Amino acid sequence: MKEIKVVVVDDSPFSIALLTDILTESGFQVIGDASSLEETIEVVGKLRPDVVTMDMTMPGTDGLECTRAVHAIDPNINVIIVSSMMDEEIVRKARKNHVAGYVQKPADKEELSLIINRIMADGELYKELEVLYYTVFKEGFVDSFNKLTKTLPEFAEKTIPSVELVSRGISVVMGIIGKYSGRLLFDLSYETAERLSTNVLKRAPKNSQEMFNVIGEIVNIIAGNACSVVNKKNKLFGLRVAPPTIFHGNSLNISKPDLESVTAVIAKSDFGEIYMSIGFQRGSSEWMSNI
Amino acid sequence: MDVKYINPFLDSLMNIMPQLGISDLKRKSLSVKGKTIKSPGVLINVGIVGDLRGNVIYGTTVECAKKIASSMMMGMPVSELDEMAQSAISELTNMLTANASMGFSEEDISIDISTPTLMYGDFTATASSDKVICVEMLILGLPFEINIAIDRIS
Repeated sequence: MKEIKVVVVDDSPFSIALLTDILTESGFQVIGDASSLEETIEVVGKLRPDVVTMDMTMPGTDGLECTRAVHAIDPNINVIIVSSMMDEEIVRKARKNHVAGYVQKPADKEELSLIINRIMADGELYKELEVLYYTVFKEGFVDSFNKLTKTLPEFAEKTIPSVELVSRGISVVMGIIGKYSGRLLFDLSYETAERLSTNVLKRAPKNSQEMFNVIGEIVNIIAGNACSVVNKKNKLFGLRVAPPTIFHGNSLNISKPDLESVTAVIAKSDFGEIYMSIGFQRGSSEWMSNI
Repeated sequence: MDVKYINPFLDSLMNIMPQLGISDLKRKSLSVKGKTIKSPGVLINVGIVGDLRGNVIYGTTVECAKKIASSMMMGMPVSELDEMAQSAISELTNMLTANASMGFSEEDISIDISTPTLMYGDFTATASSDKVICVEMLILGLPFEINIAIDRIS
């Protein structure tokens, strides 16, 4: 991995020396420091670091004003507030100013290093998920299906959905939330749902409500298992699922997913056709701090 | 399901809509319904995890959705609920729920939200929670509802 370049902004020469030591010992390259707004603009503009550690209180300025100045130079520079002051109000303001993380002084070496590495690993991490997610969810589908029904679905070629979906009758939607957020969608006809739930219950469902509950629970199991597998591959993903909402009707259209990466597939099961679409996106990523 | 979960969503709506150039907002009624939600034309589902778990399902008519989308796109006429308009409405519900999550954090309740899913047509939703709180509003004189189907994680 390439060396991570850091600029330290702090009005105290003691803090600059201390942070420079900690960062250097952790393998980061401290390429400069600044102790005022003017110096910050000059140093960051010239050196273009990957990360800036930012003190909150400085004479004549504050960490948030300096953060805005850094982002005016390059919005991709990650600013981490390192400050002795930390309360909800400051943290909220920091978030609004697109600060990437927050560490309280005295900064712990391990903690500061972990936060910087996490933030910098972001791009790589998303690529890891992109490569991983479809296979994991498909396997989750097959495994859960096999355990519940003792049958194996057959999959058509995967596709990238580019238009809205006209539902077969029943759509199960589950939000996925973690380092990246996403959505899992299952779509099937009433007939398929009825045959599938009859198989799982070993009797016909009492009413449509019971049938929806069974289908929702199956999708819940698939999503839960798949997310656990993803989290086991790399705990930084931290995926969790929101409970399923089931949509059903004769005229149901689902908008094209507004996701950075999404994959869909049609599975042919003993009970009928089941459509699965799963996708994720970057942005609104988890806030990193030691709070 | 606690009534205090309503305010962050209401505050968020009152705060965000004027920023999008929509100030004609009226609170109509508040009701508790079972898990079945009939679509008024458009439903948008946003998942929630954290101290609370569940879904928020925003509902409105196609006409209202088009008017809101038009306002969000600087008054550009919106005659169909096309891909662009759907994307605008999805983004709106993302903003509304993200803003509500900041309101919850002020109450020491921490939640994270999923990406929204928009559906339209003549259909019904079955929520994850047995009781759903429905906040009915009038936006630009047209119906807009927030269905809150969330439970506290003990």
